[in-house]
Amino acid sequence: MKLKKRSYVTITIVLVLLAAFFIFPFYWLTIGTTKNVSQLFQKSLLPGRPSHLQSNVSGVFSYQNGVFLSWMANSFLYATVGAFGGVFIASLAGYAFRRYDFIGKRFLFVLVIAFAMVPGFATTLPLFMMYRDLNLIDTRLAVILPSFVNIFGVYMMVSYWNQVEDEVFEAATIDGANDLTIFWKIGMPNVIPGFITLFLLAFVSMWNNFFLPLVVINSRARMPLILGITTITDPQGFPVYNLTLTASFFTILPLLIMFVSLQRYFKPQMYMR
Amino acid sequence: MTWINKARLKATLKAYLFLAPFLIVFIGLVVYPIGLGVRLSLYGQRGARMWYVGLENYQRILSDSMFWESFKIPLFLLLVQVPVMLILATGIALLYETRKNGGPLYRFIYYLPYTIPGIVSGLVWSYIFSDSMSPLLPALEFFGQTGVKLLTRSNVPGILLVVILWQFTGYTAFLVYSSLIAIPKEYSEAAQLDGAGFWQIAFKIKLPLLVGPLITLFIFNAIGAMQVFNEPWMLGNLVVLPLNYTPAMYIYNSAFSQGRFTYAAAMGIILAVLTCGFSWYILRSAGRQILGRRH
Repeated sequence: MKLKKRSYVTITIVLVLLAAFFIFPFYWLTIGTTKNVSQLFQKSLLPGRPSHLQSNVSGVFSYQNGVFLSWMANSFLYATVGAFGGVFIASLAGYAFRRYDFIGKRFLFVLVIAFAMVPGFATTLPLFMMYRDLNLIDTRLAVILPSFVNIFGVYMMVSYWNQVEDEVFEAATIDGANDLTIFWKIGMPNVIPGFITLFLLAFVSMWNNFFLPLVVINSRARMPLILGITTITDPQGFPVYNLTLTASFFTILPLLIMFVSLQRYFKPQMYMR
Repeated sequence: MTWINKARLKATLKAYLFLAPFLIVFIGLVVYPIGLGVRLSLYGQRGARMWYVGLENYQRILSDSMFWESFKIPLFLLLVQVPVMLILATGIALLYETRKNGGPLYRFIYYLPYTIPGIVSGLVWSYIFSDSMSPLLPALEFFGQTGVKLLTRSNVPGILLVVILWQFTGYTAFLVYSSLIAIPKEYSEAAQLDGAGFWQIAFKIKLPLLVGPLITLFIFNAIGAMQVFNEPWMLGNLVVLPLNYTPAMYIYNSAFSQGRFTYAAAMGIILAVLTCGFSWYILRSAGRQILGRRH
């Protein structure tokens, strides 16, 4: 589309101003990690001088005998195991929808998608009651188990599997491969890019999931980062702004690194909040 | 009804073997808990004691003004934030199109807020608006506005608006842009030959073709607005918000601050039914798109 020079410049100014708005909180958070509380209270837009980055970082990592490291390990555990389990189970289910004309197919698909629309707040509370009966409250399993149900993953996997040509499966069947071999050795390599995309999306949504651990985890040693950072206080129970900011920075850093380095796998989808 | 023979039975058996892991977790962790929620919602409760009361919880919720007041914020987001965001995102997507390759750097920067959790953006923005740390206050003082309080309860809806627009506009613009580039180039080229300008092409040719995706986006955001929790929860650390500030907060607080589990379960069911009403449209088209292609 050809534009006049003047409107091109105007649009550039609008785009740059918007970019400044979207960048600003990241900038403010980053310079916040270099300030102690009294520097934060000076409300400056420049990095703290002298820089307190080092003391903030060591403050975060030594907070409560290093509970921050447990939070980090928990976040990685919950996100990795939950995302992998959920997407793998979804790829098995997607394969079933692609390969077989089975009884109840359409009904099952619509039913599963219908349940995807039920909000987490309606299931988390009964889930809590169920965990209480099963003695699963305040266990790591309580956070991981629900992420094995990746309904969006099933939906996407069905469409990924649909892109695999019939000939691929037919050739393998003629060669006498059984269904499990076909799934694993012949089918899976075809859906790996989709698998990675879904894994990353699921990883991010588990990493960011606040509500479930808020409800089912009580002890700080089992909290994920996203919950842990909201509990940082001094011994009197008052918030410690500089440590909370620095901890927040480390909470989003893995996400930003992942997003920047694996950008081609993050294909935005109509994905719910 | 479809035919049933030996081959189809065999296929069915195999299919359910592959589906088994999913069905087990799906039934155990989604279907059963929802059923349990429905059952609990029919009970009265005091401490650990529970007794059957039928629909009494639902009757009480219908006349519980706290429950209905909690919809003020979702309604505000639905009527203000969602339309503003969709208009902004469509505008931004059209601007992307004026750049070479759709301005990949702009798209990247605008998308970044979506990659970080709502808790962290709520936290950072609540600090940015706080009395003690806000970098906006020196700017206001420069214009002679001293002693302004930004983070007050009456300002929270406005702040929520900023936070949520910040988080989701770039992401939404990306989705709208994906729909835009799917429109065949010939359409706008033909219009250009007929003498149509940038705005004419945008409004008369592109916008009508974006109606479908925009409706879907509107519904997804309506669902999100009904469930909003993380951002007001974080703002609530710096400014006192009522227990029923949003439906999700009211459900959480009823269950875990007040211990009214069965009452909260009933509210959860009502919220779920309302949400499912919204998603009916998406559901129908999703089923058609995916299963219609093969078999």
